[in-house]
Amino acid sequence: MEDATRTFGKGSCPPGPVPEGLIRVYSMRFCPFAHRTRLVLRAKGIRHEVININLRNKPEWYYTKHPFGQIPVLENSKCQLIYESVIACEYLDDAYPGRKLYPYDPYERARQKMLLELFYKVPHLTKECLVAIRCGRECADLKLALRQEFCNLEEVFPVVISSTAFTNRKSSTPSGEMENIFFHPRSITLKILGYQNTVFFGGDCISMIDYLFWPWFERLDVYGIADCLNHTPALRLWTAAMKQDPTVCALLIDRSIFLGFLNLYFQNNPDAFDYGLTC
Amino acid sequence: MSGGSARSLAKGSAPPGPVPQGLIRVYSMRFCPFAQRTLLVLKAKGIGHEIININLKNKPEWFFTKNPFGLVPVLENSQGQLIYESAITCEYLDEAYPGKKLLPDDPYEKACQKMVFQLFSKVLTNKKTTFFGGNSLSMIDYLIWPWFERLEVLELNECVDHTPKLKLWMAAMREDPAVSSLLIEAKAFRGFLDLYLQNSPEACDYGL
Repeated sequence: MEDATRTFGKGSCPPGPVPEGLIRVYSMRFCPFAHRTRLVLRAKGIRHEVININLRNKPEWYYTKHPFGQIPVLENSKCQLIYESVIACEYLDDAYPGRKLYPYDPYERARQKMLLELFYKVPHLTKECLVAIRCGRECADLKLALRQEFCNLEEVFPVVISSTAFTNRKSSTPSGEMENIFFHPRSITLKILGYQNTVFFGGDCISMIDYLFWPWFERLDVYGIADCLNHTPALRLWTAAMKQDPTVCALLIDRSIFLGFLNLYFQNNPDAFDYGLTC
Repeated sequence: MSGGSARSLAKGSAPPGPVPQGLIRVYSMRFCPFAQRTLLVLKAKGIGHEIININLKNKPEWFFTKNPFGLVPVLENSQGQLIYESAITCEYLDEAYPGKKLLPDDPYEKACQKMVFQLFSKVLTNKKTTFFGGNSLSMIDYLIWPWFERLEVLELNECVDHTPKLKLWMAAMREDPAVSSLLIEAKAFRGFLDLYLQNSPEACDYGL
């Protein structure tokens, strides 16, 4: 993997300028926000270099890249810096040619941004659940709140009444009609933001909004909260479809390495961020 | 461009009909700074629109079919498409309508405006150009303006006394045609605020 390099910590030398033809991302192998940016870089085939930052022992020079020392940050060969994961992802889609991850249509673009609003509590809640579980605390309330957020996202998908729904979606008739599938609207959210038939959040193909959501869903299992998807079948179908995407697969983090990182992280070990690196 | 000074629609009101071709509708409220962002962009781009004011203290049931969060602003076009969240509505209008682009074409410059929007308060002390996006007025200025307009009305202008660049910016903004055409009259705003803080359903229609 491109990002399998040791972190830069306090006392490290600042990296030089970014070579022409490359873009650099300051990242950390286990950070979900940086994961978004790495997914987009990969999906669009953008040549890039990764510099991992030790988040518990940040290099002094890193504050010249981001005022609060956060990741991800993009830096190009013109020394331009872009931060906030969603802004960085949109910048990459705008600045680089090839496959567009955001739709061209202004309404469809706006729809993806409205969908993102439905997601805003998920990062905080998943983190709180992780911390509670790791510290041996009760987190039933947090998990309930997270399940509620997942229910809100579930409402974007039509209710599918068919046991072979997933296979049928892939084999629609030439006229575009789906066989043996009945859709019924679930809610107002669906009427405003939903589609008639959709595997992914943006339609039949994976797009930006799916990549923006994905990192947290990949982490549910390793955080110990995969059961929060128990009542959301459409979301489970979506996660299964995501795991078949080549970009998602290429960046999938090995479970045992992630667990090793989490163990060290919760022991406040600054070597956590380099766990699993062989060099 | 009708409806800016129309009475708000409240609980029990009939839902409005479809949006006529050639117009876009904005669900708004006369004193809401978020909705004012959208109105500023509609004005600045010369987009033909109609305004339906919503009584935010006594919302019509049908309004939740326009925005599940029940908030203004919401855009509705003649195809029945709905867009909510003020910044999203503003960007949609800039992309969907011709004429002067408020967001820059350059991807980096556009990203900068978005970063600025997020780091609003940090930029106040670091601002180096006349307007927030450079030397001419652009999207970020419209997004920020409504709060500064209200500072003056609420007699909180002392907040900007120690930042002379900000005072200069406010003066420059008042000269903009879109901004000056939508300026809220101080007494009306204070009247609205009094009633609003008492939770009165008459607040949104104060002065009509």
